[in-house]
Amino acid sequence: MTEAAVTVDRLRKTLGKNEVLRGISFVAGKGEIFGLLGPNGAGKTTTLRTICTLLAPDAGSINVLGFDTRSAPQDVRRRVGVVTAEIGVYPRLSARENITYFAQLSEVADGDLRRRVDAVIERLDMSSFARQRAESLSSGQKQKVAIARAIVHDPPVLMFDEPTSNLDVLASKEIRDFMVESKGRGKCVIFSTHVLHDAERLCDRVTIIHKGQVVAGGTPAEVRGDRRDLEDAFLQLVES
Amino acid sequence: MRAAWIVYRKELVEILRDRRTLMAIGLSALATPIVLSIISQVSTKTATQAYTIGYSGEIPAGLDVLLTSVGLKLEQVDDPAAAAKQQVDLGIAFEPSQIDEYYDPARQSAQIADTRLQTVLGQYDAAKAAAALQEKGVDPGILTPLKVVAHPLSSPVKAAENAFLSFFLPYILITMILTGGFSAALDSTAGERERRTLESLLMTPAPRSRVLLGKIGAVTTISLVAAVVAIGSMLVALSQISLPGSGGAAHISLNAVAVPVMVWVALLLAVGFSSLTLALGTLARSFRQGQAYVTPLYFITIFPASIILFIPDFNPSLAYYLIPVLNAVLVLRDAIVHNSVAWPALIVTTISLAGTGLLSWFATLRLFTREALLTRS
Repeated sequence: MTEAAVTVDRLRKTLGKNEVLRGISFVAGKGEIFGLLGPNGAGKTTTLRTICTLLAPDAGSINVLGFDTRSAPQDVRRRVGVVTAEIGVYPRLSARENITYFAQLSEVADGDLRRRVDAVIERLDMSSFARQRAESLSSGQKQKVAIARAIVHDPPVLMFDEPTSNLDVLASKEIRDFMVESKGRGKCVIFSTHVLHDAERLCDRVTIIHKGQVVAGGTPAEVRGDRRDLEDAFLQLVES
Repeated sequence: MRAAWIVYRKELVEILRDRRTLMAIGLSALATPIVLSIISQVSTKTATQAYTIGYSGEIPAGLDVLLTSVGLKLEQVDDPAAAAKQQVDLGIAFEPSQIDEYYDPARQSAQIADTRLQTVLGQYDAAKAAAALQEKGVDPGILTPLKVVAHPLSSPVKAAENAFLSFFLPYILITMILTGGFSAALDSTAGERERRTLESLLMTPAPRSRVLLGKIGAVTTISLVAAVVAIGSMLVALSQISLPGSGGAAHISLNAVAVPVMVWVALLLAVGFSSLTLALGTLARSFRQGQAYVTPLYFITIFPASIILFIPDFNPSLAYYLIPVLNAVLVLRDAIVHNSVAWPALIVTTISLAGTGLLSWFATLRLFTREALLTRS
């Protein structure tokens, strides 16, 4: 494994009366795509929300590039970018204004703002609709806006929470390509999904969680073992 | 504070591109002059309208001329009591030694005709008595042994204008501050949650207190703009039209003392209302749910403005100025009616409204930093 970027240690979290996470531990390294796999309700989204400090751990700890989420939440948020399936954009702002707003809130310096926003727009091939109001954009275009705002401050850790679940084949491919490209640039990419085919193709290492607990971890090949594919392995693990 | 400024600017841009908010402000600017113009026309029509008296018997000499001069038309009927029910506004049966009057107090036209009739009859009686005394060589002046000379300390016309303003101005101010920022507050809280942008916003390094400050600032600004537009259009309308009690040709204007008091009170109210509506919006999961939470607030806050309508001479102790909204209404009334600032009342009002605003701000911040804000949805 490469040098650790995100370390989750015995993480526990209860929401209402539901104990969602029951002592989850894993390490995601720099320059790798780390898959967080599990069925719906396994605790993937809660784990990601806790890593990016939206939720506080009840027990255990999370360390992001040397910063603890409890004691230094702002430092953690400066280093993390999150893309979710729920593509929420400000409908009355243009794509460019949406990105600029998040760049400013992510403390991109004024002098560097325009260059960063332009670079992201170009990188994600958004020039044709950058000045269009977000309310008139397609789902794929909105997802690009969501990615752009998550990466505009160039965070070393990127988290994708079911990013392709509402997208068509082409848009999904662009997201996958982007994750691979980010890995190539040394980013730590945490990819939460229940689409195991994607995980098998993209991830360097995976952790399978079920009912708030880690049931398997390692490279896709290690987790698969002598089974036909990751899906078979996953089903066996979950059903047992 | 940079984050607050960034959020403030973005919220304002979004609000100014929101048709709902712009329509609310535009309608408020138009609604007040239209309502005042209708009131003016109705009151002018009522003052000049002729009413019909159905009578039977012999009209005393000269009384018909007096009645006609005040807009009371005479029409002979067989049964004045029956006619007064619908056919005419008022019925009179002239008997040799008395006048029987029939009218339905439930009808406004009957009330106005009755008032005019009583005035005319009073004048007629006095003239008759004076003529009888003069005929007998007695000075009619003995009928008024104590002559009253009135010395009003302020212009009665101005007093009537102020009474009108002291009710309408606080009413419009409170209504517009609340409704002007209503849509914007819900949009930036419940709307943000509904659009699923809240999570992304809270994942930025910007401290939540600053994010909230920017939102409160934007909602306060738009509330004040709505109030300024509504009051401005009201004052322009009042300078162009005459209202009942304004002395016909005179036009209503706001005195110089009331203006800064109004601005100060409006600012305090706007900050308080913005925090409160943002808190209620934060509790809501959707814009629609937010509307259900905020609507009762309108009725609760508008009630104190009505107190001036029902009790115009309400002179409370200083303790009453601790009650938010009521204190704003009272301070404004004092400035408009007395053309002066009651400093102790203004200070207590300021402390009360600022305290309420601060409490609302803390409540909103508490809600805004709760995990339930995200997990409830």
